[in-house]
Amino acid sequence: MDTLILVIIGIVVGPILGGLIAGLDRRVTAWFQSRQGPPIMQAFYDVAKLFGKEKMVVNQWQILCAWVYMIAAAVSVGLFFAQGDLLLIFFVQAVGAVFLVMGAMSAKSPYSQVGAQRELMQILAYEPVLILVFVGFYLVTGSFSVEAVWQLDQPLLAKMPLLYLALGYALTIKLRKSPFDFSTSHHGHQELVKGVLTEYSGPYLGLVEVAHWYETVLVLGLCSLFWSTNVLWMAVLLICTYMLEILVDNTMARMTWRWMLKRVWLLGMGMSVVNLIWLYAG
Amino acid sequence: MSNLLLLLILLPVAAALVCYFVRSSAVRSLTVLATGAILAAASLGLLLQGAFDPIAVGSFLGISSDFLVTVLDFALLGVIFFYGLKHKNLLIQGFTLAQAALLAWFELVVVEHVDVPALVGDQLALIMVLIISIIGSLICIFAIPYMKEHEEHLHLNKSRQPRFFFFMLLFLGAMNGLVLANNVLWLYFFFEVTTLCSFMLIGHDATEIATKNSVRALWMNSLGGLAFVIGMMLMYAKTQTLDISAILAAGPQGALMVTGIGFICLAGFTKAAQVPFQSWLLGAMVAPTPVSALLHSSTMVKAGVYVVLRFAPAYVGTLLSDGVAICGAFTFVACAALAIGQSNGKKILAYSTVSNLGLIICCAGINTPLAITAAVMLIIFHAISKSLLFLCVGTIEQAIGSRDIEDMRGLYAKYPRTAMLTIIGILTMLLPPFGVLMGKWMAMEAGASNIYVIIMLAMGSALTVVYWARWGGSLMATRKEGAAPESQAMLTRLPLVTLCTGAVVLSLAAPWIYNSMLAPMFDAAPFTMSFGSLDAATGSFAVVPLFIVLGLGVLFAAKAASGFRKTRVMPPYVSGANISGDTDGTYIGPMNGDVPFAAGNMYLGELFAEGKLTPVFNALAVALIVLMLGGAL
Repeated sequence: MDTLILVIIGIVVGPILGGLIAGLDRRVTAWFQSRQGPPIMQAFYDVAKLFGKEKMVVNQWQILCAWVYMIAAAVSVGLFFAQGDLLLIFFVQAVGAVFLVMGAMSAKSPYSQVGAQRELMQILAYEPVLILVFVGFYLVTGSFSVEAVWQLDQPLLAKMPLLYLALGYALTIKLRKSPFDFSTSHHGHQELVKGVLTEYSGPYLGLVEVAHWYETVLVLGLCSLFWSTNVLWMAVLLICTYMLEILVDNTMARMTWRWMLKRVWLLGMGMSVVNLIWLYAG
Repeated sequence: MSNLLLLLILLPVAAALVCYFVRSSAVRSLTVLATGAILAAASLGLLLQGAFDPIAVGSFLGISSDFLVTVLDFALLGVIFFYGLKHKNLLIQGFTLAQAALLAWFELVVVEHVDVPALVGDQLALIMVLIISIIGSLICIFAIPYMKEHEEHLHLNKSRQPRFFFFMLLFLGAMNGLVLANNVLWLYFFFEVTTLCSFMLIGHDATEIATKNSVRALWMNSLGGLAFVIGMMLMYAKTQTLDISAILAAGPQGALMVTGIGFICLAGFTKAAQVPFQSWLLGAMVAPTPVSALLHSSTMVKAGVYVVLRFAPAYVGTLLSDGVAICGAFTFVACAALAIGQSNGKKILAYSTVSNLGLIICCAGINTPLAITAAVMLIIFHAISKSLLFLCVGTIEQAIGSRDIEDMRGLYAKYPRTAMLTIIGILTMLLPPFGVLMGKWMAMEAGASNIYVIIMLAMGSALTVVYWARWGGSLMATRKEGAAPESQAMLTRLPLVTLCTGAVVLSLAAPWIYNSMLAPMFDAAPFTMSFGSLDAATGSFAVVPLFIVLGLGVLFAAKAASGFRKTRVMPPYVSGANISGDTDGTYIGPMNGDVPFAAGNMYLGELFAEGKLTPVFNALAVALIVLMLGGAL
């Protein structure tokens, strides 16, 4: 029963939190750039407006894929709040990611095709790192379930510092922030147009947006597990991490997928492996 | 009981003979259909009777069955040697002669001929019989209309179908014999029969390339056969018995015996086309599609992983076990990487098969109850989804005349049924809550205790997503309003729809499959089942809840998508003026000319070029196999 309540809380609060974070993100970015920026609630206004738009599609698969993306993202957040299995949560999240790509590939648009291919490269980059991070969880707690993390009396960060850094890589790619924003960009007037999102429009783009909020919450939720022993420090860790994300986003240019693959597979995986060796030895 | 066993092994042989000698297509079709139905029923019957202890087969017409198998063994080696001579292949000749010499010495000098119960049916064997008899039969049924059309394309004077169905059905019988064998010599005999059948089927079309590839398959599998004989002899030198059940019950018994098992595992590797032996399975795709489907899903390669898995209790806890796990994991990641660079649909499927077999072998090497469960789950669900995908590609190939995934772009527009089945097949290979992913999940949870293994599994898993997702996505397209429905022969649709339904429904039933068929295999079962969810101390997979939630979600999404004609269907954005009234992505280009939409996948040639990677992977794999065999000492 408690689990069910937690799941409902997760599914309801998830997008609200995600939307607020998106709004805050824009405010802080504006502050970096000496602008005033939109109100914090702007993300919600945007999505509300999208839902009010006329339904226009390139084909039916987009409707299917946008919905499945949203549903899978919500289910993965639900599973996270149900303290489920980390690997399973990740795989359910991957359902959404795969459908987003497939929906983009169904459109006969060069921009959305390029975006889809690049999104796959992003998945290729972050997936192994995330799996190794979960293996780290397993080695410390003896289980892949989120539940086991709460029984620790020492923050995970102490045992998995390098894995946290590697997770930071994965986080930046997953949130499609610079320098890893090459499957889609925040600004439509570039060579990529909107990449993987180009052909999603109106209410369906709204769904994709909500799904992205869920994903943000999920990734930050993962980060929060690294300081599970103290709520205050957990908040500090999350705020620092996200601020760093925004800073990186604003100071870096978009790189290429080759750069990303090499960087993440060598550096991200390298750090993960070193940290895992410590854990296996410990 | 033993009647049922004989039926499962001998009925396909008898039916094969009927197909070969009665040259009537009606009789042939009927024989194949009836055999398929009886085999499926018999395998279910065997399952209902449950696992049984080793039993003796006795004698045929006063000749002891063991003696019969021995005679047939040498006859078989003679046939293979003959083909070695015919194709002037020294490797085949050498390996076969060595096998015959060693086998003769073993049979005449070494072995004390005591009665060993010939057949046994434990949980693993029963599951394998189900896979072989049901999926194998469906593929044979699919082959009836397929081969008819295949031969129409070839304009043959004299149909070669009798020969084709002879070997297809013989294959099923040999596989059933292989998985039920309790006597190592019987296992070896059936192992060799599958080698011969695969050689004949790969070379079926008798083109130059088919012959070349079949000869390569034969020499590689003869090497496997030789490894098997050596392994068998080493093992016997220590255990002094040919009774597999007894060997497994006794567990690992020192370096000599474990080295023997190591060689048997090597034989399994060749049969399962593990790197560096993958080239024979890739070459096998020149054969008609039902052959590929059969080789890749329910037979041949599954014989390889079955042998490795069968002997798992005999090398548990040894360094050999770690070696097997690492070799398997390496094949998993190497072939997933090779698959990324491919645009040939059959080749992608082939690499994906080898990759998944690597994962299964890796699980056998990890050798914990959780890992063995993962291996069996993967065998079951991989067989279903992969046979479906092969049959889909075969159907697509006959429809569009190409097996290149770039040519399959927008397939849904013209062939919605086949495209839909293919997409579902791809999703069942890739995503939760389906069985293959569940197996992969179990493999990862089991592999997390070995750093080498888990790193390779993590990389392989990511590579897998790329090649499946882009294939699935590129099949999607819109149908013109009022377009004619796709027509499909009944015997084509039946296997496709059955397999597709099976992949989905059996995934949903996975917790019960686990509970009734896998859990009894272990003293300490790795999972408990509650509310349709598999729970363990390390984590849980909520199969049924996920099915309900995601299933309802997909149904809702499909409902929303089905009303798309009421929304405005727009042409895509192309940074220019679309041709008016056209939603095909064509735009007005320079000089007022029409520029049609064109796209291609990224195959990452610079990173994943087959030609560059294969020699590197082969060298590494050889090193790992040497490491593995050395680990047994």
